[in-house]
Amino acid sequence: MNGVRIQQEDFSIEAEVDALRSVSKCMGGIATFLGCARDFSEGRDVSAITFEQYAGMAAQAMQALRTEAMERFDIIEARIVHRVTTVYAGDQIVLIAVGAEHRGPAFEACEWIIDTLKQRVPIWKKEVTPEGDSWVTEHP
Amino acid sequence: MIISQFVSIRVYSWLNMVKVLFFGLIAEQQGRREYELVVNGELTLTELLASLDIDSEAPLILALNQQQVDDLAMVISDGDEVAIMPPFSGG
Repeated sequence: MNGVRIQQEDFSIEAEVDALRSVSKCMGGIATFLGCARDFSEGRDVSAITFEQYAGMAAQAMQALRTEAMERFDIIEARIVHRVTTVYAGDQIVLIAVGAEHRGPAFEACEWIIDTLKQRVPIWKKEVTPEGDSWVTEHP
Repeated sequence: MIISQFVSIRVYSWLNMVKVLFFGLIAEQQGRREYELVVNGELTLTELLASLDIDSEAPLILALNQQQVDDLAMVISDGDEVAIMPPFSGG
């Protein structure tokens, strides 16, 4: 299973962590970040979120993100899975899983990957609200 | 006959085909996701944005052949793919 994926379908956290752990028995710490869909945003109800991507560039940018994380941090393996589809409140959107010998680099890399993904990977989200659809223009 | 062939080759050499892609809010504002642009001579990214009525001072991300670019003075070449994108909001 490819460790860097953009896909419509949902993913299993357990399957992703198992795949991460299968790479090495030297992992003493695994950090994960799971991004989910909220039912509100900036004071408005959100009934759904629709994602759009620049397919070729997004895949390249996510792969480059993993490569750079592997170089920057003392980690053993990293996986990134991002859904591009329409999701509803509570649905899973993105998973980052990082394995390292020690927890410190795993936490740091996990946070860096999700923060940098928001800046570098050409994916956009549009929120469906009672007041109409609106593109999200910030990445808090 | 020879002259006419010469002229057609000259004209063809100045016509560049460029694919322009729009995403997110910009695609909605432009009312389309992509189009093929025929460029007669040289065209910079700044000139492309101006021709589309897109404010180059607005928060935008541009990519040339799927590589992000910051230099709006870059000249677009035949066969290039230009993406005009709003700031990313994935995750």
